[in-house]
Amino acid sequence: MYTLTGVTKLYQKGRRTVPAVTGLDLTIEDGEWLAVQGRTGHGKSTLLNLLGGLDRPTQGTIEFGSADFGALRETQLTRLRAESIGFIFQTFNLIPTLTAAENVEAALIPLGAGQSDRRTRVTAALRAVGLADRANHLPTELSGGQQQRTAIARALVKDPSVVLADEPTGNLDEDTRDDVIGLLEHLWRERGLTLVLVTHDAAVARWAQRTAVMTNGHLTIRQRSPNC
Amino acid sequence: MFVITHLRRELRRRMRQAIVIALGLALGVGLVVTVSAASAGVNTAEASVLSGLYGVGTDMTVTGPSYSVHQSCVPISPGVKRCLTGGIKQPSRNVQTLQISPGGGAKICADGHCVSAAGRTYDRLVSPYQQPFSAAAVTAVARLHDVAAAAGVLALVDSAITFPASPGGSPRLATFTVDGVAAGHTPVGPLAGATLSSGRMFTAADVDADVAIVDSDYADTNNLKVGSVITIKQVRFFVIGIVSQPQGSSPPDVYIPLARAQALATLTKNLGGSVGNEVNLVYVATVSAAAIAAVQREITRLLPGDAVTAASSLAGQVTGSLSDAAKLARDLGRWLAVLVLIAAFAIASLLTMVAVGRRSAEFGTLKALGWQTRRIIAQVLGESLAVGIAGAAAGVGLGFAGAAIVATVAPPLSAAVPSSAIGSMQQVVEAGGTALGNRAVVVPFSPHISLGVISLALILAMAGALLAGALASWRIARLRPASALRLVA
Repeated sequence: MYTLTGVTKLYQKGRRTVPAVTGLDLTIEDGEWLAVQGRTGHGKSTLLNLLGGLDRPTQGTIEFGSADFGALRETQLTRLRAESIGFIFQTFNLIPTLTAAENVEAALIPLGAGQSDRRTRVTAALRAVGLADRANHLPTELSGGQQQRTAIARALVKDPSVVLADEPTGNLDEDTRDDVIGLLEHLWRERGLTLVLVTHDAAVARWAQRTAVMTNGHLTIRQRSPNC
Repeated sequence: MFVITHLRRELRRRMRQAIVIALGLALGVGLVVTVSAASAGVNTAEASVLSGLYGVGTDMTVTGPSYSVHQSCVPISPGVKRCLTGGIKQPSRNVQTLQISPGGGAKICADGHCVSAAGRTYDRLVSPYQQPFSAAAVTAVARLHDVAAAAGVLALVDSAITFPASPGGSPRLATFTVDGVAAGHTPVGPLAGATLSSGRMFTAADVDADVAIVDSDYADTNNLKVGSVITIKQVRFFVIGIVSQPQGSSPPDVYIPLARAQALATLTKNLGGSVGNEVNLVYVATVSAAAIAAVQREITRLLPGDAVTAASSLAGQVTGSLSDAAKLARDLGRWLAVLVLIAAFAIASLLTMVAVGRRSAEFGTLKALGWQTRRIIAQVLGESLAVGIAGAAAGVGLGFAGAAIVATVAPPLSAAVPSSAIGSMQQVVEAGGTALGNRAVVVPFSPHISLGVISLALILAMAGALLAGALASWRIARLRPASALRLVA
């Protein structure tokens, strides 16, 4: 799915140059679940942004299937995200003025799907995450776990080939965390997704097939998880 | 539809800000509409004054040279002298004159023979302002290139002093203005813009008839109607029609056929005898507004010494609150509206950009979901346009309200329109008459809002809103999704 070669990302902070990711080489197979651990500020989210085409590397190449991110224009990258990449964020990032169903529908708008098709797929996505009865609720009317489930539905409604999750359980209590991770794992197995999950929580990372650790922008691969 | 739902919900979420922006735009637009309405009302009032001064369709007038105003005194008999202020240097043949002695007695003299004025009426029909000139000038002017029509008029004043039969009483003065006009229909002239209230207008058959048309105001004041008789220079004229002129005009009281006016008038530039085939005013219409300046030059060359006055120069002589209001609307009003509009645009832009800044994380998420930048910009522009439409509607409403308030509270407008000095009527003044000078007319002021102004208001409001949206869109276009999402984290 992904091949990263010599990827470096530098940020300018005034006169200082801050390396977020340094000389990263990584291959992620189709259908693999990779968990990336590390402390805050060590480059985990930056790696996720690079994998999602939300940011461009200062050096190196990122290949996604047959596409080289570096060769794509912004509109092409955006189109790729619309079709193939689903995002799950720590703070859910739901649009506050839209209902759960409408938030999920927002992911289908760029694909140009018809209204009837969108409605069918949204209903199926919410049912898959157990929120069919909360379709018309605004985010403020949903619990944290329900909001994250809505975000998961939004990420999966377009049948992406890869889901990138940035601390998906970071704002949830333990029980809800386990529910959400369990749901993710179920959907990963059921759909054969490629899942890259960033977390600082070792308990969450243990669910993945393979774990890696980001330390000061450097990635170290650990052995495969015995759970997979 | 998702887009409409999203737009509606976002506006509802930022209702207070949307109202502030819409109100700001409404204020600017409302002021533009109000000022435009007031300006249109003033322009209409000005146009009615000017068209009333000339008559409908007249682009310029030609008048003879003014009488030089001077006073000359001529001893008539021991202790008695006659002093005249105006163009008359000395008495002429066939002209009645009035002698007033220091003791108060009056005599009417003609051809050297004087009689007591007691119980008699001293009646004169004169051209007090400008010297008359040959009516052949009218034909010459009409033949000029780019002249559509020309009509000659003899503008006169009839003043009659009736002395009491017995001593001790005061003489009674009656004056009214008389225009001698061509019989038959003419496209220019004092009757061109008149509306016939009753009776009929002159026909070609009336050229030598003792018939008159009376202005409606004069008719009301003197209880005249069709069939009434008025006396001009001691000749009885039958009233055949009553007309009314546009508001703001200063029409004569009476119109008679030109030939009759020429026969009865007693003053010439040669200071003697009756007026021959002469006029003292020519109304001229050109084929187009562009030809006015050229025709004016041609007439000046053709008739040196005569004054050619175009509407544009006459407009500059109109004074009074009407011209003040016109300046106010054009200068202060326009600039005030522009300033308020600029301020409204600036506030709308600022508030919209602040709102977009606050939604950076939301826009970053949408970009992560695969929304192209142009789709997000369309969303923001749609929200701005909705606010703009609301602002436009409110602005037009405010404009109508403003125009209604202006119409209600504005004082009546008046215009002082020029008319000639009365030099040669100084005798009349000394006998207790009333001086004539600039005439003040009250002009109706009615602000009105045209469809063009409403369209302008709508366009301005939406332009302001779209400008605000465009500036915000520029910010969105520069937004890096990763940076925006970091804001959430």
